[in-house]
Amino acid sequence: MQKTKELSLPVASFEEVFATKSGAIFQSDSEKCWYIDFAGKLARFDYRNLLKLKKAVYNINIEEKLLSSDKSADVEIIFICACDHSYVLSLLELIKLKEILQGTFVMLELNHIIHDRLFRIIA
Amino acid sequence: MKDIMRVKCSISEDVETLINQQIKKEAHSSAIYLGMASWCARNGYEGAAAYFFKQADEERDHQMKFFKYVLDMGGNAVTPEISNIKQEYNSFREVFEEALEQEISVTQSIKNIAARCQKENDFLTLDFLNWFFKEQREEEIKARRAVELFDVIGEEGTGRWQIDKAVGAISYNSEA
Ligand SMILES: [Fe+2]
Ligand SMILES: [Fe+2]
Repeated sequence: MQKTKELSLPVASFEEVFATKSGAIFQSDSEKCWYIDFAGKLARFDYRNLLKLKKAVYNINIEEKLLSSDKSADVEIIFICACDHSYVLSLLELIKLKEILQGTFVMLELNHIIHDRLFRIIA
Repeated sequence: MKDIMRVKCSISEDVETLINQQIKKEAHSSAIYLGMASWCARNGYEGAAAYFFKQADEERDHQMKFFKYVLDMGGNAVTPEISNIKQEYNSFREVFEEALEQEISVTQSIKNIAARCQKENDFLTLDFLNWFFKEQREEEIKARRAVELFDVIGEEGTGRWQIDKAVGAISYNSEA
């Protein structure tokens, strides 16, 4: 989790939480939110919306959709209530987004453990 | 990097999910008791109907306790959908046997939440659950006593009429 480029301009500083070849998620401590760089856009998610996105993506049964032979288009629309962003993704993109989210939540959990161990729990 | 997840919410996602399932279970219990109250009232058992109306209210209170706890902890409490509530029973006794089964199933499911909390050192939720364990002790004892009345009083003659009067008087007072 290294800091992305330090600029002298007063821009919000991001830290990369998790990245793959297809995208990345950054955390902004000052704004208490996350930025998802995926599918050609950078989208801001607060705590509630990030969890809603996770739920929406995890709830799609990708395997079933891959095996299904009906003629409907293999695109998924991920729409999150009260969130400015939505995604229209192919199944392949969906798999990639899920991978990024899974990695992100593992890193956030790890960050939580580190905070506990280093700052919160007296050894 | 700040631990935003923990700052925003005091319970884990797993515990939140389990409590939301419990919210649904309590709402379901409340609806089941209402169905039982209806059956008893329709079949001339006024005492039992009053008993189940009161049970239905209590289950609603339990639901609200869980619901507010999740929100207090920064989680997302979900309004449950309840359907398929039984309206017909084969006998007066069957109503009470199923009421006891319902309470046992609630106790077991709260134990399961506590087991999860123990695993992740969630002492806050464990402490919150203690109230429910005491409540379940009382609920099971009362429900079991109600079923017992069918054997103690007997259903013959005016037995059912006496049982109907006796259920309202069931009480449990524990010092512990
Ligand atoms: Fe209950
Ligand atoms: Fe109960």
